[in-house]
Amino acid sequence: MKILVPLKRVSDPDNANKIKVGAGKVETTGLEWKPNPFDEYAVETALRLTENGTNAKARLGEVTVVTFGPKETETTLRAALATGADKAIRVDTTDDAIDGDLLARALKALVEREKPDLVLLGKQQVDGDANQVAQLLAEYLGWPQATFAGQITSEADKALLVSREVDGGSIKLRVTLPAVVSVDLRIVNAVGVTSMHTPPTHKYSDGVRFAALMAIMAAKKKSLTEVKLTDLSPDTALKIKYTGFDLPPARKAGVKIKTVAELVQKLKTEAKVL
Amino acid sequence: MLDFTEEQKLAQSTIRAWCAQHLEPHVLKLESGEMSVYPVMRELAGTFGIPDMARAAFAKMRERREAAKEERPGTGFKGLGDASLMAILTMELTRCCPGFALAFGATLGLFGGAVMARGTPEQKEKWALPVFTLEKIGAWALTEPGAGSDAFGSMKTVARKDGDGYRISGAKTFITNAPFADCFVVYAKMAGAEASDVRAFIVERTAKGVATSAPFKKMGMHASPTGEVFLDDVRVPADQLLGGEGAKNARDAAKSSLNQERFGMTPMCVGIVDRCLVEAVKYAKTREQWGRPIASFQLVQEKIARIYTARSIMYTLLFRQLEADKTGTPLTAAEASASKLYCARTATECAMEAVQLMGGAGYMTGSVVEMLARDAKLFQIGGGTDEIQILRIAREVLESP
Ligand SMILES: Cc1cc2nc3c(=O)[nH]c(=O)nc-3n(C[C@H](O)[C@H](O)[C@H](O)COP(=O)(O)OP(=O)(O)OC[C@H]3O[C@@H](n4cnc5c(N)ncnc54)[C@H](O)[C@@H]3O)c2cc1C
Repeated sequence: MKILVPLKRVSDPDNANKIKVGAGKVETTGLEWKPNPFDEYAVETALRLTENGTNAKARLGEVTVVTFGPKETETTLRAALATGADKAIRVDTTDDAIDGDLLARALKALVEREKPDLVLLGKQQVDGDANQVAQLLAEYLGWPQATFAGQITSEADKALLVSREVDGGSIKLRVTLPAVVSVDLRIVNAVGVTSMHTPPTHKYSDGVRFAALMAIMAAKKKSLTEVKLTDLSPDTALKIKYTGFDLPPARKAGVKIKTVAELVQKLKTEAKVL
Repeated sequence: MLDFTEEQKLAQSTIRAWCAQHLEPHVLKLESGEMSVYPVMRELAGTFGIPDMARAAFAKMRERREAAKEERPGTGFKGLGDASLMAILTMELTRCCPGFALAFGATLGLFGGAVMARGTPEQKEKWALPVFTLEKIGAWALTEPGAGSDAFGSMKTVARKDGDGYRISGAKTFITNAPFADCFVVYAKMAGAEASDVRAFIVERTAKGVATSAPFKKMGMHASPTGEVFLDDVRVPADQLLGGEGAKNARDAAKSSLNQERFGMTPMCVGIVDRCLVEAVKYAKTREQWGRPIASFQLVQEKIARIYTARSIMYTLLFRQLEADKTGTPLTAAEASASKLYCARTATECAMEAVQLMGGAGYMTGSVVEMLARDAKLFQIGGGTDEIQILRIAREVLESP
């Protein structure tokens, strides 16, 4: 199976306190960058689908990671190459110059070039939180889509049985490949991904894998190509305009409550929920 | 080399992420002894492919050995093959738990390093490889109850020739990993020979006459088990004389191991100071007194600036050391000692400053800096005390024409 995984770096959500808003924009200088966690889950999913988990070094498919960003975002791609992705593409642009729709259109062109059987995406970015690229891309490609996958079973690499958590249960969708699938956190559980390549007895550890040190050192030998955004989408007009950013109001200090009676009282008079 | 490469930085952030997920949550239990460090070490090694790296390096060594039909001592795999990577790993582990890093360094760096530096090809295969793959844990035993700073002159452990092997008697103390190690490099004086004629032997825990103490309770480095090794007329086959029958006096070998240890201490000290800076800054920005963050007080700023400056200098020393290793032009004894002296003293000072900056919160177990402050003190003692470093510096400086 050939899988394309779009991957983006985001400002480290654990350092959200460093974020500053100035002149109607989020200031990016001084921020620490991390791969978007949901994208990392997508990479992990792609790797699990294209390997025999008992011998992960022998690749049984091809995983291409792509990012849209300036030169320094190549670090994010190298990290994915180190964990096992086979090749990488950087589409040269900046965050300001793209929105979810342009991204989806550019990805469509890239899909036509790379001809993957599956595009796996994180369900959303933890910075913009738009949650639209997977859906738009499926629409533009005319491919089946399944979103927020918490579990994927590959059916002989011809179709995927995709399970998504909903209130009180889960929805299962069968999508015929080629398809677009976005993934949620649960996909990287030990049993998130099953395929014919990995024996059912094999247990993955929860979470995304860490790259071996040798693989990190060897990642620079893997192919990383650069593409111009205009080569993928001559029309670079944006449909989304950001009109302003505000930091969430600082939380007020809480109060400690000594007795249950006091709690009930406060729920009645202050929270007004009783 | 004035910085780590992109790949090395990627390795660093990957190791840091692993530590945050798989080491940090266990630190208090590792420190209290409720949890053993060795399974975590094996998990670390497995995750980062260290056994595979070692096996691949050994396979290459074998090929070269067969092609050349001989092998210079000291060639082949050293730790992770790449000194910078080993330094990064050491630094990151120390940022999280210095005791863990110490125990890890003692088995791979000290035991593994000693066998790789002086061992015969057979000894490297039989003793060093299983330690690099973490199947076995090693310890390096030089210090004795009566022989610390004057490790060779005061050494009481003796080895007697016994047929085609040796018999060793004596005791070693303050030995990292001793309570649990599978194998030991033990230094002993040859009976009857010149007083200063020292040899190194590989001793297995299973050999008759070997006993070890329970882990000592100590000021810091709680996660690192330290103990005694007792050798009661232990029979050691000839092929466990490190370097084989032709082995020369092992004093130089021990000294080179000590140099190795000093080298390993630089990244550990950087790790301590770097973590102190992070913790101090975080606390200074969030802790408020007199209605504002304590970071706004200049006496607090002074502490932060001091820790930052120390870290900058230590990085420079670390890169100097890595460069020297890379180009094969070793530092002089004085320079290596100066570096170790500075790093050890400064790490201890900085960690104490970080505790001070955090006040009562810094003094509490679980604050990280409380552990770092106790742990840093070891660097002024192990691998040659501050005083011994000063003597080495003075000797070289005064003796040079
Ligand atoms: C946690 C820990 C782990 C260790 N791990 C190992 C290990 O794995 N393997 C191993 O072999 N050893 C190990 N050691 C031992 C360590 O190397 C020794 O503690 C160290 O060499 C100092 O020896 P000593 O403790 O006997 O002190 P001493 O030599 O007795 O020194 C006592 C004091 O006298 C000073 N002093 C000594 N001689 C002079 C002099 N000529 N001039 C001025 N001052 C002097 C010293 O600086 C020190 O302040 C470990 C120690 C510790 C604490």
